[in-house]
Amino acid sequence: MTHPKRLSQEDERSLVRRLKARDERALGELYDLLAPWALGVAFRILQDQDEAEEVVGDVFVQVWARIDQHDSRRGPLVPWILSIARNRALDALRRRRRWWRKAARWEQATTAELGDPAPEPPPHEAAVQGWPLHRQVHAALATLPEEQRRVVLLAYFDGLTHSEIARRTGQPLGTVKTRLRIAQQKLAEALQHLKDWME
Amino acid sequence: MTDWLGMAAHPKIPRPELKERVLARALAPRRRPWRLAAAAGLVLLAGAGAYGWYRTLTTLRLERDRLARAVLSLQDTLALVRSPDAKVVWVPVTTGGRVGGVTIFADTTRHRWLVRCDGLAPNEPDQAYQIWFITDRGMKSAALMPMDHEQPMVMALDMPKGGGRVMGAAMTIEPRVGSQQPKGRVVFHMNL
Repeated sequence: MTHPKRLSQEDERSLVRRLKARDERALGELYDLLAPWALGVAFRILQDQDEAEEVVGDVFVQVWARIDQHDSRRGPLVPWILSIARNRALDALRRRRRWWRKAARWEQATTAELGDPAPEPPPHEAAVQGWPLHRQVHAALATLPEEQRRVVLLAYFDGLTHSEIARRTGQPLGTVKTRLRIAQQKLAEALQHLKDWME
Repeated sequence: MTDWLGMAAHPKIPRPELKERVLARALAPRRRPWRLAAAAGLVLLAGAGAYGWYRTLTTLRLERDRLARAVLSLQDTLALVRSPDAKVVWVPVTTGGRVGGVTIFADTTRHRWLVRCDGLAPNEPDQAYQIWFITDRGMKSAALMPMDHEQPMVMALDMPKGGGRVMGAAMTIEPRVGSQQPKGRVVFHMNL
């Protein structure tokens, strides 16, 4: 059983330096570290393996092409990359929704029930680095009341706007905004200690 | 701190072949659309330049041919005019109420005539001027000259071969397609 490698701030800085120096091996190492998490975010949003893998490809193309735009003073590398994965996945989701809407209009058929795919057991902890952070984020989410957690997840993983969340949950827009604000404050407090993303 | 929320998703182990695919994509030479656009622009520019050059060459070639024809005609005219055997006759004519003239340079050695018409009235749409040689065997058509605009006209005519001795010339107004024999109004009639 292998143990997850620790990625300290110094490790991250070194990785970023090597990436900026166009060290191709550094990109391979970054992939080993982050591909499972980028794929996890993309899959969580898209619920489709092929599309999620396409997003992962986009993510690493973008990271390699725009690593110079990453400013470590504004935030660590991991959230930056995960946010790229999220944005790309949401773009793909919106494209898919547009396609579905068109298909529905054209065929005048009811949109097929997508349904949740059969749950897949998460990989063994030893196979992926970063589980402690995953548990901490989950723990922080778990401290939120259900209604706050729901709006956070709808906003983050479904890419819904405040108005769309209000419609989806049947809550007034003001209530949605308040819940999101409070939830973000609580998450910020709970996760402010994050400096190293792997321990 | 929502930036970290991505870590809330369960990780997924990518298929082993994905890494190679992703790295190959990321490390592939970057496509630069502006370079493509610039290349396409250059090709277009070169194409447009070549087309323009071709047009210019064609125009110049046509102009050269036209000038060559004009020079040849001029040389022919000069040769006729300067011939020691040339006989010059000027005939006043009246057409459409205006007075003009027909000048004939007749080179009996070369059997060629040069005819210049000035001040002739334009023909009716269905009519044309027709010039005739007067020979000892009768009238032989020399040329048909439909005139739609008032402008001087110059033409070189070969005298009829084996058509008898040319004694004079005449001009009549005939149908636009011409006549075998003069039937219309006579514009002038002269003996050399």
